[in-house]
Amino acid sequence: MSTVTTRVLIIGAGVTGAGLLRDLALRGVQALLIEQRDVNSGASGGNHGLLHSGARYVASDREAAVECREEGEILRRVAPQCIEDTGGLFVAVRGDDERYVADFPSLCAASGIPCRGLDPGTARIVEPALSENLVAAFAVQDGAVDPFMLSLDNISQGLSLGCSMRRNLAAVSMEVTGRRITRVRCRDITTGEEVLIEAELVINASGAWAGLIAALAGAHINILFSMGSLIITQDRIATQVINRLRPPSDADILVPGGTVSILGTTSIRVPSPDGCRPSVAETDRIIDDARLMLPILERTRYIRAYAGVRPLVSLGPAGDDRAVSRGFSLIDHAADGVENFLTITGGKLTTYRLMAEKAADLACAKLGVSAPCRTHTETLPPSTLGKWTEPGRGPRSWVESRTEDDIVLCECEMVSRGVIDSIIDEAGAMRGRSMIKAVGMRSRVGKGPCQGGFCGPRVTCHLYDRKMVSGMQGLAELKTFTERRWRGFSPILWGVPLMQADLQEALYCGAMDLEFGPPPSTLDEESECLPAKEQP
Amino acid sequence: MDFFSIGLTLACVSAAGGALWRARTWFLRGKTFAQSGGKGPGMARRFVGGLADLVLLRRTLRHGPARWTGHMLLVLGFLPLLFLHAMDEIITRPLFSAYEPTLDPWQFLRNLFGLISLTGLVILALHRITRLKTASIPQDWALLAVVGGVLVSGFFLESFKIMSPGDFTRMTDDYFPEAESEELLALKTYWARENGVRFTIFLPTAPEITELGAELHEDRCAGCHAPTATAFVSRSMTALVPSSFNIADQGGTIFWYLHLGLAFTALGLLPWGKFFHPISTGANLLVRGGSRASRPGTSSLARGLGLDACTRCGQCSLHCSVSPIHKVLGNPDILPMDKLADLRLHLDDRLSPAQTASLVEGSHICTECLRCTQVCSAGIDLQDLWTASKKALAEEGRAGVDGEMRKSTAAEWARELSSRKLGRIGSTGAGLADRAESFWGCVQCTTCTGVCPVVAVSEDPSRDLDLAPQQIMNLLRMGLKAQTLGARMVWSCTTCYKCQENCPQGVPVADILYELRQMGADILRKKEGRA
Amino acid sequence: MKTYDVMVIGSGFAGMAAALFAANRGLSVVQTGATGGIDFSTGFIDLLAVHPMAELRVWEDPFAALAALRRDLPTHPYCRVSDDEISLALQEFTNFLGQHGLCYRGKAGKNTLALTSAGTLKPTYLLPCTLWNGIEALETKAKTLIVDFHGLKGLSARQIAEVRADWPDLKTARITFPGMGGELYPEHMAWSLADPARRTELAKIVAPLAIEAQYVGFPAILGMTDTSAVLRHMEELLGRPVFEIPTLPPSIAGPRLRAAFDRGLPDLGVRTCTQKLVTRAGFSEAGFHFTAGSGSTSVELSAQSAILASGRFFGKGLKADRHRIHEAVFDLPVTQPKNRSGWHRTAFFDPQGHEVNQAGLETDVALRPLSADGNPFHPRLHAAGAILAHQDWMRMKCGAGLAIATAYKAVASLQF
Repeated sequence: MSTVTTRVLIIGAGVTGAGLLRDLALRGVQALLIEQRDVNSGASGGNHGLLHSGARYVASDREAAVECREEGEILRRVAPQCIEDTGGLFVAVRGDDERYVADFPSLCAASGIPCRGLDPGTARIVEPALSENLVAAFAVQDGAVDPFMLSLDNISQGLSLGCSMRRNLAAVSMEVTGRRITRVRCRDITTGEEVLIEAELVINASGAWAGLIAALAGAHINILFSMGSLIITQDRIATQVINRLRPPSDADILVPGGTVSILGTTSIRVPSPDGCRPSVAETDRIIDDARLMLPILERTRYIRAYAGVRPLVSLGPAGDDRAVSRGFSLIDHAADGVENFLTITGGKLTTYRLMAEKAADLACAKLGVSAPCRTHTETLPPSTLGKWTEPGRGPRSWVESRTEDDIVLCECEMVSRGVIDSIIDEAGAMRGRSMIKAVGMRSRVGKGPCQGGFCGPRVTCHLYDRKMVSGMQGLAELKTFTERRWRGFSPILWGVPLMQADLQEALYCGAMDLEFGPPPSTLDEESECLPAKEQP
Repeated sequence: MDFFSIGLTLACVSAAGGALWRARTWFLRGKTFAQSGGKGPGMARRFVGGLADLVLLRRTLRHGPARWTGHMLLVLGFLPLLFLHAMDEIITRPLFSAYEPTLDPWQFLRNLFGLISLTGLVILALHRITRLKTASIPQDWALLAVVGGVLVSGFFLESFKIMSPGDFTRMTDDYFPEAESEELLALKTYWARENGVRFTIFLPTAPEITELGAELHEDRCAGCHAPTATAFVSRSMTALVPSSFNIADQGGTIFWYLHLGLAFTALGLLPWGKFFHPISTGANLLVRGGSRASRPGTSSLARGLGLDACTRCGQCSLHCSVSPIHKVLGNPDILPMDKLADLRLHLDDRLSPAQTASLVEGSHICTECLRCTQVCSAGIDLQDLWTASKKALAEEGRAGVDGEMRKSTAAEWARELSSRKLGRIGSTGAGLADRAESFWGCVQCTTCTGVCPVVAVSEDPSRDLDLAPQQIMNLLRMGLKAQTLGARMVWSCTTCYKCQENCPQGVPVADILYELRQMGADILRKKEGRA
Repeated sequence: MKTYDVMVIGSGFAGMAAALFAANRGLSVVQTGATGGIDFSTGFIDLLAVHPMAELRVWEDPFAALAALRRDLPTHPYCRVSDDEISLALQEFTNFLGQHGLCYRGKAGKNTLALTSAGTLKPTYLLPCTLWNGIEALETKAKTLIVDFHGLKGLSARQIAEVRADWPDLKTARITFPGMGGELYPEHMAWSLADPARRTELAKIVAPLAIEAQYVGFPAILGMTDTSAVLRHMEELLGRPVFEIPTLPPSIAGPRLRAAFDRGLPDLGVRTCTQKLVTRAGFSEAGFHFTAGSGSTSVELSAQSAILASGRFFGKGLKADRHRIHEAVFDLPVTQPKNRSGWHRTAFFDPQGHEVNQAGLETDVALRPLSADGNPFHPRLHAAGAILAHQDWMRMKCGAGLAIATAYKAVASLQF
């Protein structure tokens, strides 16, 4: 058991928590960011990667639309390395709501969102994958953002300015004395070590877990969990973001992600933020609907699916009539009898900086710090933490700058042994329970068409060679890695992916008998069976 | 000095001087290539073989009766004309003391050989018009025109001489000065009727006049004049001239100048272009000794001769294995006939850089299949020239597409090409390498790399080839074409198709590698300004 | 056009076995197929080792396992073949392989635990002889050296030693393969070891490392076509028994098998149309008519009977769209879960196995696939191998054995 003292404790290393770390650091406030699993383990790691122009919300939520536009401009300025400014199209096909189409331009104008009408023929020249049944198209300023790079770069700057971060540390209980949280009791979920944290102020940025964390201090927030599934295609289908021009619903958006495209999403109420995984039914629903605007989606090859849980804050006490909002919620728990505790949750990826700013403003007010926010003007320096997650970087470096004796271990994405070694060396103590998982998170290993089927065993061999694992540990980690990828792989197994899975099982079970032997790590953060509140 | 002497002198000087100058290239051109000097079958066998080729035109015979017949007729007809008619004062008269051009068999033979030559030439001309029109250049037509002109003008000259009253008068003035007027008349009558002279005066038809004419002819003329009917061609041609035209004298003069002028032209042009081929090709046939194989490392003299011996018959280009590539790329240096001509120019340092680049492209597209060497009527050892020039061109720093690509590393090409849009290949639209569907099937099994013989024979594939076939497919799948174009695997691929045939998922690996090579060639061509 | 007695569709274990058995019985045989499952084989011939799947119960006696299986799973294809037929089929198959440079052996009536590249142990029935010394070494926990190579991905001797912590006398060494650098491929290494000089070089590097060892193990690279000779030579050079360990793909077990069949079947008169899949199939009372391959290299084939041994998804015998699984050649009815949600389990390694792997063709006792009405689709169409329903070869460890045995039965059931 150890005790750590910090000025501010931030719970949750999603993009909001990461943004908060940076914001406070730039204001000269020292903070510690703790995370029960790894960076972006919640909704920040399970979204479209879309930098909203705001046009999607012009009819349903004007405030959100305007926020998106403003924040999009800021992020393009300060964090260009995380953004591909692809532009976007809103398209309608025969049968879509004509009134929505007609109202769209004026609604955009009312929110100050630039939107330019395109002739469907022109739209199809610009994006040949669009359907022949296109009846309307509008160009907007959507973009694609890499949420991992964004979070890692924010954290990196925070660390460089004197803040700190600890992964695998779950907040288990809080001691509240005299309207203040005096101590937060945490447990390292990989070692079992207990850590006590004493902080002047605690910020709950744990996204979908915000309700569970707030409850530790006796505060109550009603959070609804809305799971959304997305599918990744092997190729980049369109150069721009493609949105369905209709009142927001499922399967509306296709976002480019480097060399792939991401299609989604769905919206399913689930009882808990843990244990969500995409289902066969959802993937079929998404494809059945989205293929109307992009017919190639019926035939193309998919790599995997994934899901994230959005926190929807139901404002006021349970049973309140006010509608659930997708705008963010900043809650000062002084109203709940805890002076040094606030929660920031909800919102969307595009507005993370604004959320962090608002939360930091409130935090500084409570701390008596008068430094202003600088995150809207300070450039976000690129960090090396996320270097190898960028698609295409591995292969480019293999061709242009490899050392003579290097070999490729992940063929799909051309990640070399040298790169993996550099990740292993850098990750160091931050590896968590599974080195292969850490490698996977910090690179493209396992993210290509084989979904780890071939590279998993090769990387495992290398980890044994480097004495990073011993005994059965490597096999156990490989199986965990496989099960983790399986969550995303199994919903899309038809056509070629089914052949890929067939081949993988033939190797793993038919040839290597891996279904025997050590079970996948159950205490690993990927477990679906242990919701947060039951973690020891 | 008259026209004849001046013309002949000039022509002879031009012919001799030019021939020496040209023959000099036989010794100089071949020196550029590295030589090793091979040894073939014995000298005697070679000489006999060479002689047979030369005399019997064996190589030409292989390609069909038309060209052989035309050539043989032309040669068999023209040589006697050359030696016995053109050079009659030096050759025929000393050998045959009773020689007169107007006597038989000479008069008949002149026409006969002329007709044979002309027939041969017409066959050759028709062949060139119907089969080789697009590949022909001025010198091809010039030779036919000049030689044909010599022959045709000769016939016309004889025709007009036959018809010429002026000549008759000159003859009688010289050899029958004492003729009385009715004797002259009788003789004229005889000559008009029997020998086709066109007199402008009215001639009697009474039989006793004709008889007298015949007698006088026997006495005075027949010793040197055979009946002009034996000049069967020229005599028949007189029918072409309407009797009302009195142009026989003028015609004779015109055609005399024309005939001699063309003959001197032919002689004077002897060293130029195809006019020289009887000498250069003949020499080459002898030296080649009847062989149809290629003997790499022949002497530089033999190479120099070979370079000069082309008759532009076009057989090599007609049979070239890679002529389909010529149809696509349009570079004439892909085909042997033009490549040879440009190779000559290159050795004489007369090609521009862009032209040299074309030559290099042609040189490297050649697969050295040996066909052109086997069919060459002039017996040129083309294959030896191609292999020797390839090395020479490479040594000068001009390699073929794969050589040029290898001058930069894969990394350097990647950096250079990354900024470009490499989506489309020429005018063929998005290729297999650009289509996502090409890679949908890949399951990363590495079968393509496992069966690749190029990878198999490499001691260190990643060092020597940069990328394995499977890795190239993955890069293309990710849209990173610039990273693949410079990889040496692409340029070492033998197109054996094992990868594509063995791929369990139908990825067209070999076709895609082919496309990458096309793209590389395209890029280089643009760089050389030969888009 | 010639009408063959039988057309074999598929060139995996079942297809090769069917072609072999039919040819050995004097029938005229034509066969089509392309690179598929067999090319990723480990070389093992599994008979049956796990039943019930969900309990992960491993049997030492495969025939006892068969008895239990037939009792518990009456729809399993092994119910269509008798123990005798299985034994005869395996005998004939391995005899053929032996004649073509691939010797096989096993323990009569018993499964053997064999070492895999992961370090795990896999129960199997018949193995290439080149692995046999490794079995002895493993079973006696003898002093053994396993050698691996710089640049050979997917096989780490150290991993094997770590996983086999119960074998403390297992030592490892990593060396450079003579004459090759960078990324190594087993097929190329195997071809290079056809040269005795190269073998001598290899032995010279290994010998000083193997002084303490009683056995020496290598990744499976000891030759392509005459593996026994290469192994014997290495044993001579090292003065010790030598064995191979199968590698992950790209391995050479598959290519070795394929090479043996490519050489041996045409010798028996089989017409092999390699790297061609059936693109069109027609049939009548009289027989079958197929088009194999496409474009200018396609061929038309005519046969009285046909054996469908086209494999599963990777082998292209079964195709799946988002909703259903189809049989690729005749569009025969495929027994399958109701929809795709039922195809796979939540966990990849779920011991119950994935339902989709048991989808396939229903057959009668003569192994003739049934149409929707429950009658044979065609009196002279038979099926063999992994395409059959109600078996999960990957979990039950019955792949090659089932393929060979059902091929035997199919050929025996052919009517003329």
